Amino acid sequence: MGPYGSDSTTIASAACSGPEMDAILAGAGFGTRLSGPCNVTNASDYSLPFNPSDLTTWVDSMLTDLTSATTANLPPQPIHATWTNQICSPLNPIDHAASHVLMAQQRKEEEDSGIRLVHLLMTCADAVQRDNTGLAASLVDEMRVLLSRVNTLSGIGKVAGYFADALFRRIYTTEVPLSTSEYEVLYHQFYESCPYLKFAHFTANQAILEAFEGYDRVHVIDFSLMQGLQWPALIQALALRPGGPPFLRITGIGPPSPDGRDALREVGFKLAELARSVRVRFAFRGVAANRLDDVKPWMLQATQGEAVAVNSVLQLHRLLTDPATTPAPIDSVLEWIVGIRPKVVTVVEQEADHNKPTFIDRFTEALFYYSTMFDSLEGSRPQHQRQMALAEVYLQKEICNIVCCEGENRVERHEPLAQWQTRLANAGLHPVHLGSNAFRQASMLLTLFSDEGYCVEEVDGCLTLGWHSRPLISASAWRAPDADVSPDDSSVIASNSNNCNIIINSNHNNNNNSSNNVSGSDDNRISV
Amino acid sequence: MGAEQEQEQLEKEKEKEPDENEDTMDRGYNLNDNVDILAEIMARLDGRSLGVAACVCRLWSTVCKQDRVWEALCDRHVIGGAGDPGTRSVVAALGGYRRLYRLCLGPALDRLTCSGETTDSDKQGWAHLSLSLSLSLFSIDCYERLEGKQRPASLLFLCKPVNVA
Repeated sequence: MGPYGSDSTTIASAACSGPEMDAILAGAGFGTRLSGPCNVTNASDYSLPFNPSDLTTWVDSMLTDLTSATTANLPPQPIHATWTNQICSPLNPIDHAASHVLMAQQRKEEEDSGIRLVHLLMTCADAVQRDNTGLAASLVDEMRVLLSRVNTLSGIGKVAGYFADALFRRIYTTEVPLSTSEYEVLYHQFYESCPYLKFAHFTANQAILEAFEGYDRVHVIDFSLMQGLQWPALIQALALRPGGPPFLRITGIGPPSPDGRDALREVGFKLAELARSVRVRFAFRGVAANRLDDVKPWMLQATQGEAVAVNSVLQLHRLLTDPATTPAPIDSVLEWIVGIRPKVVTVVEQEADHNKPTFIDRFTEALFYYSTMFDSLEGSRPQHQRQMALAEVYLQKEICNIVCCEGENRVERHEPLAQWQTRLANAGLHPVHLGSNAFRQASMLLTLFSDEGYCVEEVDGCLTLGWHSRPLISASAWRAPDADVSPDDSSVIASNSNNCNIIINSNHNNNNNSSNNVSGSDDNRISV
Repeated sequence: MGAEQEQEQLEKEKEKEPDENEDTMDRGYNLNDNVDILAEIMARLDGRSLGVAACVCRLWSTVCKQDRVWEALCDRHVIGGAGDPGTRSVVAALGGYRRLYRLCLGPALDRLTCSGETTDSDKQGWAHLSLSLSLSLFSIDCYERLEGKQRPASLLFLCKPVNVA
């Protein structure tokens, strides 16, 4: 083969053998691309790039390999660079074969650096777990040196950069939580640059729509209103449903705004404006609370005769705690959810296991999960660089929370779908099959978003959206077990004297309602 | 006497006829005189041709901007429901059929037809679903515009070039 072939095999064997390399690369986020459409009939057939049960042994093997390597503490010598210089310099620089090989060698160098970065991250995380701050700090420095030589704009370099940064913050600084407005901006950019949140909203809306069939008064409780981007589609769908739109009430829960403006109310007004234009009778109520477990059922004013839907998009995991501490807030919240007898509870959660008790397990899981996530962000080519950058910051905040924070501060306690299914079933909720309409809608949404990479799968009546067969987000629907309340029983109506409601009636000539309401800004917010 | 007058009249008419014939041959039949027929023809065009037609002259531009022309176009691409009065009022409230096609339905259909072969029944199913999905996306766009944003960004993902790999 000549000098090129033999030398490349030498370099390859210096790192590790072929299949081992594949496994490590796969674990570091260089997933193999699937060719052809996903087979949606084999829902449980997705193959993870790594085998979770082997993770501990894999990590152990890497750590034992490295203990000898780190003591030597030599930076990797760029052997190939000098070799290619020798080859290329006397020859004509425009020699395609040589430049090809040069690029291949550069890629290999980067891959090697990537693998080394992953090793370093693991070792550092292990050191942090053993409270060996000195070793951890030196490893972080070493990683920074390595990162300066690796392409941090894409691939493993970028993810490793974020994780190294998170480890740095854990060792040296305390993580500053984001302000509400900053978080909203990041959330919005994340919403627009990848389909996960859109998938979540559309699937939840479909389940809610199906549950609301036949009811004339409906009430949606949103655990995290943000800018209310989920609800215009539901309002429009209700406007067009055969038989006419129902009377829709939305209760939006969100954090209190610090600077005096009532963000919840503003969103409520916008939603009311939209509802008015499509002629849907609409009422909005905002509940300001810093934590979900501060919300009490009486604040929601669920009344008889209306169908209630509870919608939680990426919120329930914030209520979990370390397994040792009981009672967890999640239990009390689930209890009152079941108590208000909802027709449907839509739960959207990240499909990841980031609540394990040991730090190194969490760290490894997060590394794999966010590698895939960042991979998908790059794959879907968002419109603007700024948008993508902000979406990445959104993810970076999650990473920092998982890696840096402990105890009460750690809110990103993601758990996989199977665990949520057990938890919700134990609380007394019955699962609702999401149906083929939701599946088709999700598939179509993905086709619109991008042709390749994303895959929707159905697991036990729940839908998951993933990237190259690794599920990243899951949506499921549940209902309370009760005898069906008759849709016609609307005899009890919320009392008009309550000043906390903003009711904007488009079709009513009933002036009593409008005079009580849209009152001063102090009354319509319940601060907790 | 009556016969003579009649003959005079006939001769006058015969003199007129060649002139009139010349006039009509010069003018031709002008479509622009019948805006309704023009609109009927426009209603049968596809999206791209409508866009091109709107650039011809001011009259055609006005006709092509009528929402009913775009409603007919949207109607043709979806199964049922696009033309009924309930849908019409909702679409009008959200911004009109022309905007719906431009922002949602058009790019969505382009994407769907580009992405691989689908059977006819698939296409029909997708066409039907594409109305509800398009309307959902459209409502989000309308909602963002309520804020007064100059360029609501929620639908920009549809305008990205399709990767026909």
